[in-house]
Amino acid sequence: MADLYSTLRQPLIAGNKSLGEVTNDVSGVLERKTSPLWWRAFMASLLFLLIGAAAITYQVATGIGTWGLNRTVGWAFDITNFVFWIGIGHAGTLISAVLFLFRQRWRTSVNRAAEAMTIIAVMCAGLFPLIHMGRPWLAFWMFPYPNMRGSLWVNFRSPLVWDFFAISTYFTISLVFWYVGLLPDLATIRDRAKAGIRKKIFGLLSLGWNGSLRTWNRYEVLYLLLAGLATPLVVSVHTIVSWDFATAVIPGWHSTILPPYFVAGAIFSGMAMVLTLMIIARKVMGLEDYITLRHLDVMSKLIIVTGSIVGLAYATEFFIAMYSENPYETFLFKNRALGPFAWAYWTMVLCNVISPQLLWFKRIRRNVAWVFVLTILINVGMWFERFVIVVTSLHRDYLPSSWTYYTPTLIEVLTLLGSFGLFFTGFLLFCRFLPVIAMAEVKGVLSHGHRSVRSGSR
Amino acid sequence: MPKSTRKQDKLYIGGDQTADAIGAAVPRSVEAHRPPSPPVDQTPRQNRDEVSGVSRRSFLETLGFVFAGTMVAGCERGPVERAIPYLNQPPELTPGKPLWYASTCGACPSACGLLIKCRDGRPIKLEGNSEHPIFRGGLCAIGQASILELYDSQRLMEPFANGRKKAWPEVDAQIIARLGEIGRKGGKIRLLSETVNSPTLHRCIKGFLQKFPRAKHISYDAISVSAVLDAHERSHGVRVLPHYDFEKAEVIASFDADFLGSWISPVEFAKSYTAGRCLDSKQTSFSYHVQFEARMSLTGSKADRRHSVLPSDLAGLLRELGKLLSSQVSAGPPLPEKLDEEKKTPDHGAVDRRVLIDLAERLAGTQGRSLVISGSQDIEVQMLCNSINDLLGNYGATLDIERPSQQRAGDDAELDLLVRELEAGEVDAFLVLDANPVYDLPNGEKVAAALKATPLVVSMTTHNNETSAAAHFLLPIPHYLESWGDAEPVAGIPAVMQPALHPLGNSRSMSESLAIWSGAGKPVRELVELTWREIHFSSKTVGGRFQDFWDRTVRRGFAGLQPHPSAIVSPRQVSAAWDEEPLSHGEPGKGRSKDLLTLLLYPKVAIQDGRHAVNPWLQELPDPITKVVWDNYASLSSALAEQLGVKDGDIVRLNVGEVRHTLELPVLIQPGQHPKVVAVALGYGRMGTERFFAVGPDWFQKQLTVEKGQTLGGSAAPFVGMTSAGRRLHVQGVKIEKTHRQRMLARTQDYHSLELPKNVDPGAPPRPIVQETTLSAFLKDPTAGSQARHGPEANLWPRDHEYVKEHWAMVVDLTACTGCSACVISCQAENNIPVVGKDEVLRKREMHWLRIDRYYAGAGPDVAVTHQPMMCHHCDNAPCETVCPVLATVHTSDGLNAQIYNRCVGTRYCANNCPFKTRRFNWFKYSFENERENLVLNPDVTVRSRGVMEKCSFCVQRIAEARIEAKVEGRPMEDGAIVTACQQSCPASAIVFGDVNDPESQVSKNLKSPRKYTLLKDLNLEPSVAYLRVVRNRESSKVTGESHG
Repeated sequence: MADLYSTLRQPLIAGNKSLGEVTNDVSGVLERKTSPLWWRAFMASLLFLLIGAAAITYQVATGIGTWGLNRTVGWAFDITNFVFWIGIGHAGTLISAVLFLFRQRWRTSVNRAAEAMTIIAVMCAGLFPLIHMGRPWLAFWMFPYPNMRGSLWVNFRSPLVWDFFAISTYFTISLVFWYVGLLPDLATIRDRAKAGIRKKIFGLLSLGWNGSLRTWNRYEVLYLLLAGLATPLVVSVHTIVSWDFATAVIPGWHSTILPPYFVAGAIFSGMAMVLTLMIIARKVMGLEDYITLRHLDVMSKLIIVTGSIVGLAYATEFFIAMYSENPYETFLFKNRALGPFAWAYWTMVLCNVISPQLLWFKRIRRNVAWVFVLTILINVGMWFERFVIVVTSLHRDYLPSSWTYYTPTLIEVLTLLGSFGLFFTGFLLFCRFLPVIAMAEVKGVLSHGHRSVRSGSR
Repeated sequence: MPKSTRKQDKLYIGGDQTADAIGAAVPRSVEAHRPPSPPVDQTPRQNRDEVSGVSRRSFLETLGFVFAGTMVAGCERGPVERAIPYLNQPPELTPGKPLWYASTCGACPSACGLLIKCRDGRPIKLEGNSEHPIFRGGLCAIGQASILELYDSQRLMEPFANGRKKAWPEVDAQIIARLGEIGRKGGKIRLLSETVNSPTLHRCIKGFLQKFPRAKHISYDAISVSAVLDAHERSHGVRVLPHYDFEKAEVIASFDADFLGSWISPVEFAKSYTAGRCLDSKQTSFSYHVQFEARMSLTGSKADRRHSVLPSDLAGLLRELGKLLSSQVSAGPPLPEKLDEEKKTPDHGAVDRRVLIDLAERLAGTQGRSLVISGSQDIEVQMLCNSINDLLGNYGATLDIERPSQQRAGDDAELDLLVRELEAGEVDAFLVLDANPVYDLPNGEKVAAALKATPLVVSMTTHNNETSAAAHFLLPIPHYLESWGDAEPVAGIPAVMQPALHPLGNSRSMSESLAIWSGAGKPVRELVELTWREIHFSSKTVGGRFQDFWDRTVRRGFAGLQPHPSAIVSPRQVSAAWDEEPLSHGEPGKGRSKDLLTLLLYPKVAIQDGRHAVNPWLQELPDPITKVVWDNYASLSSALAEQLGVKDGDIVRLNVGEVRHTLELPVLIQPGQHPKVVAVALGYGRMGTERFFAVGPDWFQKQLTVEKGQTLGGSAAPFVGMTSAGRRLHVQGVKIEKTHRQRMLARTQDYHSLELPKNVDPGAPPRPIVQETTLSAFLKDPTAGSQARHGPEANLWPRDHEYVKEHWAMVVDLTACTGCSACVISCQAENNIPVVGKDEVLRKREMHWLRIDRYYAGAGPDVAVTHQPMMCHHCDNAPCETVCPVLATVHTSDGLNAQIYNRCVGTRYCANNCPFKTRRFNWFKYSFENERENLVLNPDVTVRSRGVMEKCSFCVQRIAEARIEAKVEGRPMEDGAIVTACQQSCPASAIVFGDVNDPESQVSKNLKSPRKYTLLKDLNLEPSVAYLRVVRNRESSKVTGESHG
């Protein structure tokens, strides 16, 4: 079968698939009976989700006091989780929009899942600003709507308001982009479905897709435009999230480096999370031919790049703090490395700066187990990065009299677990009911039409 | 009629002339509460007796009858089910406007003058009476907090006889019968009280003693100073407590007297101490204060020099000082060489001899303008103090024994005798007048057992307590805010207590009960009036009619009189005998090894002897030095802790050889403490503190403030040394055992030093948060000690806010601030700040809007301590304002940083971005564990709900009140019209508030002080709170390390 491969360029999809095989591989999962493995994973995720929901219910009913926050550390797990999930949500847009514009065709195997992951992650992220409020039932006050309170508006100077706009925009664009991308595949599933409820639902969802050239043409134009629209968001969302910190006066927060550092960190963590999910998905759903070692390799390279930016940012922060001779800033960074939260800082450095260096080796990049472990470490490290930024900056700020420590409570830990429950529940539902791989796009990168491809039946 | 109701409200202020001119002031009484009393003085003077043939007296009689009738009719006390508006509104009551009444604080025998603020018939706030000549408007934390006890639902509400609720007449009949029987048999009747400074109660006790000639009255103080009185009896022939004047003292040598924190009358002493440390540009007079003490007391933290010495070394030190002084005072300064030769002197402990020489020189140079005091209960120490003061000619200057203080008069020798009588079963009737000997005395258990065998025990008390448990008759006495009474803290300055609301329970004052039992029963108001008519009015100096004098006094709250002639004594010349052998009642452990540890028992600033232990405000008030709340602990020096191998929070077991009592307490490492001393506070383990298990929010990970059925902390009272010469608060030979258990101490401050942690940033200079300089440097250059890093000089941005009218600001003088924390409680009472409980404080969620940061600098016994009150700085460029997404915190046109509770959604972003961390978040729904305490809430201040941010508002409700009043009267607001709650209560007058836009205001003047600095200048916050630098009268500053010769 060696003659089937181009000598110049490895095919993006392995297994010498025909168009029909692609359709069967991807859609078949949705049409078969639900596997016990899926059920087990789903029930576990749902359990976590329910635990989290219970924790949140208890917290909303009783008070934020059920978290470990105090008068000095007013944000900890809540905003850490928020920034973490927003970061995770970054890879989707990057892969689907930026890489699309850059004509990185390998993205086709992973973009659907990455986008779905984005949407679910942004939902997880959006949960935290909501529940971190003392009075979450008044969350709509963050929204600038015309009102009868003497026309009382929001504070347009507050980064939290900017956050609200940035995230809602990002979520909307991501959702639309994802949905538009889904249309041809939804139509495929509709066409394969036997008459019944399934056909009706997918018929509705596919918006009357008829596969005509005109439809395809409009689709391609829309997709390109949306990609163009989504691209600035890759930079803007996390930049604005970083302003929550950068515009504050607290040493460790008040820093101009935060926007680029946050964007790089977000892509870094997003890529890691996509890899984690893809490694599981290709194994469980038998998609090894679509998500190949080459994908791991390419994404690992992106991880090295962004990871290095993040590492450089850590070093720059330190350098600037020392160079500035600002005693508060100097102290803060020394305190991060040597103070009571040094364990968190060094966990972060170990996971985010040191461990990704292994990916310089091709053998490791192409080793599924190694990449899997490293991506998990990076996810842990990136969570700690946000924890370090949020908590270590707050816990020892200007007046030593107010210095404290922070310890999470059970409710906070359960809420974090619950957000993972929500994430995996959402992702598993996506895997079960929607095509995980963008069939229409993958078909475009098949060696179809080349000399040695077998003709398949459509 | 007066021009405005406000004036009327403030009648107390006007003094005699205004009050007479306005003439509408009727002393307020419960009886007169409703219906409205026609203003007595409104009848034109000439009409009173001649016109209509009704004499003034008979008119008043009729009026009194009508009053009494309506009072009886109105006495029915059913539950109020509907709020009905007044049909005829009493003229003095305007809904929404407070009424102020002058009275006297009854929280301790210091009897500070105060004003009661009443809204809609209930007292809601206590403030110091600024007209009072000795307390000058200060009121301590305990006094401030005592209003909460008024609404305590666990107060004793009904009289009980043998455990059964009884009506007063029945109780009286039984007691009179029993007393009569005992009196006829010639049985011993004993009355035990704490210091009685009330002339009326005194008179009633005297009347009782006349009726029962074999009865005896014994008074004692839980925290005894009887040695001072006994020493004066020996040295001056009269058993008095001198009235100390720190203002006139240029050199203050305090040998373990915590006069700013807990000794005798801290408010008065803080006022006069601060007055003697004035750094006004016009006139700088700054006393030199040296403190010799074993633990770090509040007073020690303010001292210019502090030396840690064992309590048992005080006598030696004083004798040495006396020797040095006698040679100096009589024969000029001693030759230094000669002194150097005799280096080896016995007994002066760990203090360098040069310290004593220096002190002696200073004292010799300020004869008649110095003060040597001691808080020791060692009569020898007190005798030495008296001799030194006498040698220096301080009597009549800084110590007044002609108009002595009557704030403490307890007699430990008599108490000892009484306890022995009780134990021997000789006492037939034991009447306890609001005292708690079973708890206070070291042999309380024996006393309790003896009381069980005593035929008649009557306890008059506000709460069930350790002693009342054994009483046959349990009689409720009113809170001092609901009863008439009087006090004479210093001879010649008697003061009146007037009720501010109808008693909440079926209580009766002690004076009235005693009068009834001695057959001269009258309502307490009449008793008080009678006393004043008989004792105070008869003083020749008071002219006019009694009623005028009485009305005037009730309005002002006090009277300034010549002391009663009998109080004047002629002092006896003391002969100084420095080389004399120690007196027979000297240190019992004299012969013991110096290696033994000394247990030092002390009263804490807010807890004192524990009488207010059921007050949650006081339990949650951070100790000014240790910042611990809700707990008792054993303070150790770091050296001792290291030697024992214990750290903060390790529980140790304390026991003293002969005392069969052990106490398990967590360790607290205290800088500045003597390494051979273990210090434990009194006042814990009180009955009644079991209630605090319900304090704080209820959720599944809460830890109880106290375990159910347990008391808060453990009582150290059994360790008090009881000798016939007095109760001694230090005991040698305490043993410490480790228990290997731990109990976290809830502290509001975790990091205590000005120096940054060495493991993180070694060698970093301390942050310029506390700026300090020495007196000599200050005199050379008033801006000395400035650590200003270069701040922003020009602003790129236009100013965010224009302050067209007022611009409020506050200046806190850190030199004056003693850290006493009266302001913290005052703020809590004014602003409805909730109590959160120990667990919440452990989680660092205390709610105080005003906190006092306490920093240590340096090490060793002379560690410098600074107290820095910290409240919202109302920054002009406030970081909190920009970040709030919903505009819940905004800037007002008069420079306040306003927090809008009902707009707040609780993102806590503002608190994170506050560099001073003065914002407080409602993590839970905090409420009083005791619902009736809601009555103390200030209706002018919103009670915050869960999930919103709150913080100091600069008492915006007071600003609004003053503004409305000025507007109504059509005049501009005057400087001083607005007094914030913290400022009002400050015994050191350290806080000044006012309008910066008025160049003549006090705050503007203080802002121009060369000592002024603001915090975190580099952030360009432009805070509205500024501080005045600390000045210490010493050679070098521990904070900045600067040294000036």
